[in-house]
Amino acid sequence: MSTATTYRPATLAELRDALVDSAGERLAVAGTGSATAWGGEPVHDAVLDTTAMSGLISCNPTDLTVAVQAGMPFATLQETLAEHDQWVALDPARAGTVGGLVATADAGPVRHTFGSLRDSVIGVTVVLADATVARSGGYVIKNVAGYDLAKLFHGSLGTLGVLAEVVLRVRPRPAATATLAVPCDAATAFDLGGRLIHGSLEPVAVEWCDGTLLARFDGTSGGVEDRLRRARALAGSDATDAPADAWSVVADLVSGDDGDTVVRLGTAPDRTPELAALVAREAAAHAVDAAMTSSPFAGAHTVRLRGGSAAAHAAVVTALRTEQPAVTVCRWTDGLRAELPAWGEPPPAVAVLRAVKRAFDPDDRLGRGRFAPWF
Amino acid sequence: MSWSAELTEALGRANVITDPARLRTYECDGLTGYRVQPAMVVLPRSAAEVAAAVRVCARHGVPFVARGAGTGLSGGALPVADGIVISLQKLRRVVEVDPVNLRAVVEPGVTNLDISKAAAPYGLYYAPDPSSQQVCTIGGNVAENSGGAHCLKYGFTVNHVLAAEVVLADGTVTTLGGDSAQLPGYDLLGAFIGSEGTLGIVTQVTVRLLAKPAAVRTMVADFATVAGAGDAVTGIIAAGIVPAAVEMLDNLAIQAVAASTESVYTPDTVAALVVELDGPPDDVAEQFDEVQEICREHGCTKIMVAADAEQRRLIWTGRKAAFAAVGRISPDYFVQDGVVPRGRLAEVLGRIAAMADDAGIRVANVFHAGDGNLHPLVLYSEADGEHDRAERLSTEIAELCVELGGSLSGEHGIGADKACSMPRMFGEDDLATMLRLRTAFDPDGLCNPGKVFPTPRLCGERPGKYRPHPLEEAGVIERL
Ligand SMILES: Cc1cc2nc3c(=O)[nH]c(=O)nc-3n(C[C@H](O)[C@H](O)[C@@H](O)COP(=O)(O)OP(=O)(O)OC[C@H]3O[C@@H](n4cnc5c(N)ncnc54)[C@H](O)[C@@H]3O)c2cc1C
Ligand SMILES: Cc1cc2nc3c(=O)[nH]c(=O)nc-3n(C[C@H](O)[C@H](O)[C@H](O)COP(=O)(O)OP(=O)(O)OC[C@H]3O[C@@H](n4cnc5c(N)ncnc54)[C@H](O)[C@@H]3O)c2cc1C
Repeated sequence: MSTATTYRPATLAELRDALVDSAGERLAVAGTGSATAWGGEPVHDAVLDTTAMSGLISCNPTDLTVAVQAGMPFATLQETLAEHDQWVALDPARAGTVGGLVATADAGPVRHTFGSLRDSVIGVTVVLADATVARSGGYVIKNVAGYDLAKLFHGSLGTLGVLAEVVLRVRPRPAATATLAVPCDAATAFDLGGRLIHGSLEPVAVEWCDGTLLARFDGTSGGVEDRLRRARALAGSDATDAPADAWSVVADLVSGDDGDTVVRLGTAPDRTPELAALVAREAAAHAVDAAMTSSPFAGAHTVRLRGGSAAAHAAVVTALRTEQPAVTVCRWTDGLRAELPAWGEPPPAVAVLRAVKRAFDPDDRLGRGRFAPWF
Repeated sequence: MSWSAELTEALGRANVITDPARLRTYECDGLTGYRVQPAMVVLPRSAAEVAAAVRVCARHGVPFVARGAGTGLSGGALPVADGIVISLQKLRRVVEVDPVNLRAVVEPGVTNLDISKAAAPYGLYYAPDPSSQQVCTIGGNVAENSGGAHCLKYGFTVNHVLAAEVVLADGTVTTLGGDSAQLPGYDLLGAFIGSEGTLGIVTQVTVRLLAKPAAVRTMVADFATVAGAGDAVTGIIAAGIVPAAVEMLDNLAIQAVAASTESVYTPDTVAALVVELDGPPDDVAEQFDEVQEICREHGCTKIMVAADAEQRRLIWTGRKAAFAAVGRISPDYFVQDGVVPRGRLAEVLGRIAAMADDAGIRVANVFHAGDGNLHPLVLYSEADGEHDRAERLSTEIAELCVELGGSLSGEHGIGADKACSMPRMFGEDDLATMLRLRTAFDPDGLCNPGKVFPTPRLCGERPGKYRPHPLEEAGVIERL
């Protein structure tokens, strides 16, 4: 589709104009393009590139808020906030734009405590398919006036409208942080993680990544040291203090490489061990290398498949869908699309999803096919 | 068959109210100035009965309004005259507490506090804690996205609900959300929470539970000026501390509290901050000292640290009973709920005081200082004919908050009360876009009509013309 027209607005006004000018064209909304493979393959006549909308609108450290254009790279946002010893409480594996993060609902291990961007976005300005500019939420961290449209756009994958501006709540950076690493299987990790939580040690992240439990503690330097010591005592002799880059293993696994398949899915927390067993069993049965990372208490899992045929990857993903239909394929190995539908069984509220899509984009101009066959 | 006969048949005579004397109970919520008698009240005993009732309404085009405990403060549960009220009071079962998965499944009529009580044996609790938590229902909390004193650190209802079973406006039952937050597609659950009963009726809720923090420390710091107290809060935030709660009471509010409970507050202080830290003991101890230091730096005149659980309870009883306490120093009052960016607290309080003086009406302030969520209590006497003046002042205060870059409501909702002020905060296109969502859920507009959105019937033919948002005038945001 390299011949497709590209619109590259830099301001809200230009974005609105782009939607007017492109009337009748099917659009692919794009950030940096790092997550374009998620779900179905949309058809489009033109690309709406949001990366020129990358400015800081306002940074309000005393109010704990920041407002940016949606095309701002997430890394740039965090750098800006770091100057004020603040951050948006989110640690995705690799990040493109802020808008892309909202649209993919992506998150990293601190989802254990802070959830995903849905829990940090306090206001949005969006432009709809018919060029309507709409705002919801605002600039204050507590606000219930009107519907919260930002929530709808969380996970919308470019199918509902274009995020133009995003206002986020920020948090102070912790004075100290430390990570405990414990090599163990998923069942042990779930049990130990539970004891850290019930023991009120308040880990900010608990991740079981490919055979290692990582638990991160944030706080004052004295407090973190004390909790790390107590956590180590709970965990037994295999536990070690992990270097700060221990978490890059999680990021690498989630990102995958060319030729890999990467999927994410959610389950109840206590299904984590079963899921890990299922992944290992199915991977072995189909001669595929599988690796998995989980935020067990958020019930969020990512599975990476490597090696083996597309048909084998399809068989493993199909087995996962039997356990949990709501599997998102984020990276597709060559030939997998021919073997596997983009989505599994639709969620119970699919009729409402369809109705919302119809209400916001009646002509299905934006990201057409992304959620096919659901809508 | 008429719709009323169908409803009676579907739910049984014992679960239907038509007697005018008994209907009176349902005329209003906590915003008692607005009253409408519904045609009928139904009290379903199960989700299936809720769905059956809604199906009858859908078939006959009868508007319906869900009702929990009726503690709402914005007229959200105000009935529609030719419609019915669906009370969820009979759905009050705690279905399951699951300590392993850190969650509980409850019916919508369960009170907020009863969730924490059910979770307590496992060392867990449900974090959002509206002051009305002994009475208000989780269904009402979901509808209002309720907060509480501890939402500065822990967030609101929306951050603590994983799934909701919902009866849609056509009577179908669906589930929003699921076993985990990791679900593909639009976050319908997130959009539903805070929709004030206009997108459907919640019949079951799955909430997250948190482990009780190992340590809790609470203090009351007195200040000679409101500005000093406000600056102390800024100092605490600037130091990178996120207290579990930071509440402010002004002198009038303190007097009210002193008149009615075993008050631990200093009667003649101009302002008091309640600051609570919770978490791991070492972290809390270190930061608690730091907070006291910061308060002193900002001219605090006295610090009272809760020595034990009983003193902590008294501090919170005073704070949480403040609305009710105001009833003892004034025959009638309105509660406002506007929010300002935290940095503008001193400014907004100064302007409210001036507006109150001009109107000759007293305003007490007790509020969530950490997140800038005000609760001005506009005191008046109906008997002395002050109602209209007080109501005007109350609306002006909410609109002032918008003017200062904030919001009409931090947690009580728009309801019937502030619908006509919505055009102050949102443009026509914003509201029209929100209505698209409403239409997707409820094309016939039967579900709690007349709330949230301004209508000519409610607001007159010209529902408050759009005025540019102040941030727009300042060039911070643009509207096209
Ligand atoms: C090199 C790299 C590799 C990555 N690999 C992975 C991976 O394998 N797995 C993984 O889970 N995460 C991965 N991520 C993280 C992922 O990119 C994030 O979810 C997110 O940051 C994507 O942002 P983007 O700007 O690249 O979005 P894009 O890839 O451009 O867009 C992603 C989706 O969001 C929509 N969208 C983008 N911007 C907007 C907007 N303003 N308004 C509305 N819709 C919009 C698009 O239509 C599309 O559907 C990776 C990131 C990078 C940088
Ligand atoms: C003294 C006092 C203190 C308060 N303090 C706080 C506070 O600190 N923080 C705060 O956020 N609020 C506070 N409130 C406001 C109020 O308690 C909350 O809004 C509460 O969530 C309302 O719950 P309820 O069960 O009383 O709901 P109701 O008043 O019965 O209904 C409120 C709204 O929810 C809808 N609704 C009710 N049940 C359902 C359901 N099952 N499905 C769909 N919609 C439903 C109704 O239609 C209505 O729109 C306070 C109120 C009082 C009187």
